[in-house]
Amino acid sequence: MVENRPLLTLLAHLALIAGVAVVAFPVYLAFVASTHPSSAFLSGTLPLVPGDHMGETYSRMLFSGVSTSGAPPLWLMMTNSLIMALSIAIGKIAISILSAFAIVYFRFPCRALAFWMIFVTLMLPVEVRIVPTFEVVANLGMLDTYAGLSIPLIASATATFLFRQFFLTVPDELVEAARIDGAGPMRFFRDMLLPLSRTNMAALFVILFIYGWNQYLWPLLVTTDESQYTIVMGIKRLANVADADPQWNNVMATVILAMVPPVLVVIGMQKLFVKGLVEQEK
Amino acid sequence: MQTKRTIFHNRWLPYLLLAPQLAITVIFFLWPAAQAVRQSFLREDAFGLKTEFVGLGNYLRLFSDPSYLNAFQVTAVFAVSVAALSMGLALLLAVAVDRVLRANQSYTTLLVWPYAVAPAVAGVLWWFLFNPTIGILPYALEQLGYDWNHNLDGTDAMILVVIAASWKQISYNFLFFVAGLQAIPQSLREAAAIDGAGPVERFFTVVFPLLSPTTFFLLVINVTYTMFETFAVIDAATEGGPSQATNILVYKVYRDGFVSLNLGSSAAQSVILMFIVIALTFVQFRWIERRVQY
Amino acid sequence: MARIDLDSVRKIYPGGVEAVKGVDLPIEDGGFVVLVGPSGCGKSTLLRMIAGLETISDGEIRIGGRRVNDAEPADRDIAMVFQNYALYPHMSVRQNLSYGLRNRRMARDEIARRVEETARILEIDAFLDRRPKALSGGQRQRVAMGRAIVREPAAFLFDEPLSNLDAKLRVQMRGEIKQLQRRLGTTSVYVTHDQLEAMTLADTLVVLNGGRIEQAGRPLDLYRHPDTTFVASFLGSPAMNLLSARVSGGDLRVGSLPLAARLPVPDGPVTAGLRPEAFRLLPDSTSGAFRLDYVEELGSTRLLHGHLEGQRLVCQMGIEHPLADRMTLDLDPEALHVFDAERGRRLDTAWQRAQIRSLA
Ligand SMILES: Nc1ncnc2c1ncn2[C@@H]1O[C@H](COP(=O)(O)OP(=O)(O)OP(=O)(O)O)[C@@H](O)[C@H]1O
Ligand SMILES: [Mg+2]
Repeated sequence: MVENRPLLTLLAHLALIAGVAVVAFPVYLAFVASTHPSSAFLSGTLPLVPGDHMGETYSRMLFSGVSTSGAPPLWLMMTNSLIMALSIAIGKIAISILSAFAIVYFRFPCRALAFWMIFVTLMLPVEVRIVPTFEVVANLGMLDTYAGLSIPLIASATATFLFRQFFLTVPDELVEAARIDGAGPMRFFRDMLLPLSRTNMAALFVILFIYGWNQYLWPLLVTTDESQYTIVMGIKRLANVADADPQWNNVMATVILAMVPPVLVVIGMQKLFVKGLVEQEK
Repeated sequence: MQTKRTIFHNRWLPYLLLAPQLAITVIFFLWPAAQAVRQSFLREDAFGLKTEFVGLGNYLRLFSDPSYLNAFQVTAVFAVSVAALSMGLALLLAVAVDRVLRANQSYTTLLVWPYAVAPAVAGVLWWFLFNPTIGILPYALEQLGYDWNHNLDGTDAMILVVIAASWKQISYNFLFFVAGLQAIPQSLREAAAIDGAGPVERFFTVVFPLLSPTTFFLLVINVTYTMFETFAVIDAATEGGPSQATNILVYKVYRDGFVSLNLGSSAAQSVILMFIVIALTFVQFRWIERRVQY
Repeated sequence: MARIDLDSVRKIYPGGVEAVKGVDLPIEDGGFVVLVGPSGCGKSTLLRMIAGLETISDGEIRIGGRRVNDAEPADRDIAMVFQNYALYPHMSVRQNLSYGLRNRRMARDEIARRVEETARILEIDAFLDRRPKALSGGQRQRVAMGRAIVREPAAFLFDEPLSNLDAKLRVQMRGEIKQLQRRLGTTSVYVTHDQLEAMTLADTLVVLNGGRIEQAGRPLDLYRHPDTTFVASFLGSPAMNLLSARVSGGDLRVGSLPLAARLPVPDGPVTAGLRPEAFRLLPDSTSGAFRLDYVEELGSTRLLHGHLEGQRLVCQMGIEHPLADRMTLDLDPEALHVFDAERGRRLDTAWQRAQIRSLA
């Protein structure tokens, strides 16, 4: 700090504490709501301190679900979310690192074309090609499958560029030494590039896991079978009970459960996450 | 395009390595995009029995359709508000964190986690907080004499989705502003301090101008975010209502395509959106080019 | 162990840069060849062509009599030490040493034996299980050497292996490399732009200039009888003085100052080369042609910088010699080199017995 101004520093602390409070406020209330019985909401006012029905609500939501609104138990939805998030994260990393390897370490006809084809995916987010993409998936018989949930989302220009950027910083001499030591391309990839990319992969994994877990529109389109629902899209079904007030405690328990895994990942791997985020934007 | 000095020689291996990525790109990106373009020139009759080529008919209809023009306007208001609100707050917090030396790691932890919250969840959270019968905020507003009801009032609904979308985005902007602030050499601020600039003056004359690349980058990112990724916020909180007051472009594509099954119009909207993304991507890459030497 | 032969080897990079313009170089089995030259003269390119890291545009390279133009680096039976060492950062020293052997599917106990042996020779046994990051520059350099030795290749290729070390360590490692090469008897090609390193290491010194061999031979031969002004000025520090001079009727003059007589050299402009340590300056305050500008003390000797007939001249002398503002040259007949003024080629070497007048 350039100079010591206790007043300014105090002000900074106050701003930060206010910021933290504003950011946490909705989640706190959601948590409080999830710990009260549904009768608590009939009065029309919201309790502000946690109630004593937490265990009951959460175990009901997790293991038996709410039959009236046609929602399967949450553990099933969370498992689906987990499978989708892991497939997307691992799939994206796998195909991106392979394409980056091809683009950086080989020269072949159509290399620039391949590069641009990957680049173009940046400009085609799923939201702008919803209908035709849905049709393709439907025609391939991939509706209501994990493959349909994840594969169409795993092409990734950003991950490819990230790995490309990283590979370009790997010294040429390392490849040369490996070649002299008798390593062919795939052995070099396995013995050198993979281990050297570990941090990058981990950082990317954090970002992509969150991206995958939080998908909403895509699962909404490709799943019709309750057993395929993911938790993030499942919330809406719970909240939208026809002609009735939502069961606030159930909805908020779902909300909390839907955010706990990705939030834990971010907090637990904050360093990696920040690195991944800031570097993903090159 | 840059490569290594030393490369491997293999005729088919690079294609094999690229195959999965390119296959997915072609099947799920390029082909559907091409279909969208094709479909945007066609119109189906009500029973889906006959399709005819209508040229730019779908586009012309769109631009004379008040609800589409409304969606444009709504999107613009939404995007600008979210960018301004989330970036403003994020910058404030980042400057504050930059000032407190101790504990800034803990503050960062406490501020970044909303990044991990799904937009859909953010939408539901604020929808709950603003719920006219049970929500705490309408209750508080009532005490101040304001009658909140986003189910009836379009402005209320817009405020709701702006807050929900910004809440989630603050953490992202915050991280980039912190990184941007840390990249400013301490010596520059010291030099300014020696030149007699106070902390506030220093912020506006030294720090903020040096942050302008970050700010510009975040602006593009935030606009992209509000245009596309907030679909879930809208769907969870307002479903585009009341009377289309929060019906942003992306949401309209979805409704027209899947709910009203108006495929030609939905495809034409998709194509227009593609052009918007392309434009935004180019703006973003111009910025990146200045930072990264290829 | 093997000999290496380069036959009119050329390298044209994509984009048209001709980095190596036809090099013929036979390297004896067990020889130590040092390639030296200014930056960009093609040293690394030539070495990397021998290693198989660059394609050969034209000509032929044979290792042990076998044409290797199209062989993979791994199949050429060579090992290379890089300037930045290129150690595998995620592997321990032991893994670094054994990686090439494992790739060749060598038996485990044989790998272990060789790694131990190499580590012992290079005195790196103490940190076999450390990662390169945890080593000092000198230790990394040893590991890089170890990675080459452990393979027991037919030839070692070195690309400026010492230039990342500090001056003292460089001198020490230079000695060790020389000893090691003697002991192992492995054919070695060594690239450097440090002429001192080149002089001390080489059996055969090859001076490259602009992609061509300027001169090749034993280091002292090159030092004593440089074929060109380029070689003359490149070897030796401080560099040889090159003065514009003129020969008429066998007399060589710098400006109006006669330096030698009865040279078997045709009339015309020439370049006269004088090693700084090959002549002395004697005080002569009235008629001395050398004007002293300033003196650099080196400890046991000193450098006298000054002018002779308007041209710069440096002389290296013991500190016991007296100094004055004006001095005369005391020249040894062997010390004068005469080069063609235009092309810089040595004019004649048989004239050494010719009379030299120490005048002025
Ligand atoms: N990949 C390449 N493409 C085009 N030109 C190149 C390439 N590599 C080297 N060159 C050119 O070839 C010439 C010789 O380069 P080289 O690296 O062999 O020089 P060097 O003698 O090793 O120099 P230094 O002492 O600086 O290492 C230089 O002019 C260089 O610019
Ligand atoms: Mg070199």
